[in-house]
Amino acid sequence: MENYLANLGVLICVYSILAITLNFIMGYAGIFSLAHAVFFGVGAYTGGFLALNYSSSILVILPAAMITSAALSLLLAIPTLRVRGEYFVAASLGLQILAVTLFTEWKWFTGGIGGLVGIPPISIFGTEIFRPTSFFLVTLVALAVTIAIFGLLVRSNFGRSLRAIRDSESAAAAFGKNVPLIKTVSLAISAALAGMAGALYASYLSFINVESFMLDTSVLIMAMVIIGGTGTQIGPIVGAVVLLSLPSAISYLNFLPQSEIGAIQQIIYGAGMTLLMLFRPGGIVGSGGK
Amino acid sequence: MLALQLTLTGLQAGALYALTAVGFSLIFGSTRVFHFAHGATFTLAAYLFYAVEAAGYGFVPGLITSFAGAIIFGLAIDWFIYRPIQRDEGSFFTVFVASFGIGIVVQNLIGIIFGRSFVTITSPLTRSRELLEGVYVAPLAGIAFVVALVCLGALGIFLRSTFTGKGLRALSDDPELVRVFGLSPRRLSAAAFVIGSALVVPSAIFTSMSTGLNPAIGHHIMLISLAATIVGGIGSIPGTMIAAFIFGLAENLSLLWFEPQWSEAVVFAILFAAIIARPSGLVAKSAAH
Repeated sequence: MENYLANLGVLICVYSILAITLNFIMGYAGIFSLAHAVFFGVGAYTGGFLALNYSSSILVILPAAMITSAALSLLLAIPTLRVRGEYFVAASLGLQILAVTLFTEWKWFTGGIGGLVGIPPISIFGTEIFRPTSFFLVTLVALAVTIAIFGLLVRSNFGRSLRAIRDSESAAAAFGKNVPLIKTVSLAISAALAGMAGALYASYLSFINVESFMLDTSVLIMAMVIIGGTGTQIGPIVGAVVLLSLPSAISYLNFLPQSEIGAIQQIIYGAGMTLLMLFRPGGIVGSGGK
Repeated sequence: MLALQLTLTGLQAGALYALTAVGFSLIFGSTRVFHFAHGATFTLAAYLFYAVEAAGYGFVPGLITSFAGAIIFGLAIDWFIYRPIQRDEGSFFTVFVASFGIGIVVQNLIGIIFGRSFVTITSPLTRSRELLEGVYVAPLAGIAFVVALVCLGALGIFLRSTFTGKGLRALSDDPELVRVFGLSPRRLSAAAFVIGSALVVPSAIFTSMSTGLNPAIGHHIMLISLAATIVGGIGSIPGTMIAAFIFGLAENLSLLWFEPQWSEAVVFAILFAAIIARPSGLVAKSAAH
């Protein structure tokens, strides 16, 4: 029971980090990305690869995962953030599809379809963290740091520029804001922390493969942000808790066929997204209308 | 010979992509609705045809059901989802999310009803014949290509010469002006959804008979349609058409150099290159900003 709860806690922390980072670019900068699972995945593969081949020290794995994910986000941002929002949606979708192919085919780095197996647990100053309860504490700290970073960013000058861009890009540009630069930096920060979540995830599960980083995951993270409340601080965490508890909640409904639970869950969050947009576009914790 | 074979397959794929992409482009260009559930319309149309055909009612009832299903679905989404959202605030984001949600629901409902594995309708038309030495073509491929060109040609004539067609083209430029000329933007937007949704039907039926269907197929169709709309230039029907043919050919000709699992990646490499090189699209109509 203790392990079960710790396990759920770890997953909630990891997905909350992902939802917070996506919310930052979606809710505050108005950048609509369908490729968030790619940054998560790149962090996970980088962390896993380093832990398997070099060192599993937290001081090696987390910075490396963050730098790699941020660097990749620049490749996406530089050509696409200069143009209109629809282009970014298409390009991020494209990146998501390309990345799944790469994750599957780039065998020496990602282990191909089989994935990376037997990733050693993360070590903090020589102590290996392998028990779910202690790992939960590590992810809790990571979540707290993430909340603090984005809380500060949102309240800072930078955050005000972001909201100005979201509300009117041309007005912000007219006030002398360097819109593409601000957007690129926010995407890089968001990707870096998603990469950190990936490295933690890989170390915790000790096994990763491409299935965790496909379009479905990007959609799941997006659903967490939207259902919880876009552009709010607590919304993404609420969304992560609700959507991660959904599978076990559904499995209590005995009359549903067990084999369809995954599909029923997807239907619930798909319908949830649509209905929220109709009746409460701000999400569960949002203020009703935007 | 292999290159010729792949070119022929590519042209067929391109023609079918063009139909779905042009539908998306027409809806997006004239109503500014980012209709992500267009892929769901495709899946629905394909499975309706499959269900009627597999139950033994034959081709024509299948065709009619498929058309009816696609058109009703498109109209219903426009009426019950997009309009109420746009009445409050027309933000791109809100409409897109709602549309995305519908896509997820349809894909999973179809998965529950029909199962998640591939299904195909067998037809003698799919049996390949040797056209030249080493070049095989199924009669269905030729029929699909011709039907697609006829549909696209008819659409072109409709947009150029009818009052509604001209209205649709004008709608993206200036909705106010359209109202001044006595056309209702609401009726025109309904027309865009009817035509756009109907255009997926031939493509859906040919796909169900040749490569087969699974519930996730709408994703692939949506990706190609979206990429073709962007590469072709938002609001440009000819541009979208050309881009769709380029994608069909690229996907198939890439097999000359790459393994088949890379073909989707090739499409998106082209998309990236196009966004960098010509952000306003092949056939520039409205500027990128």
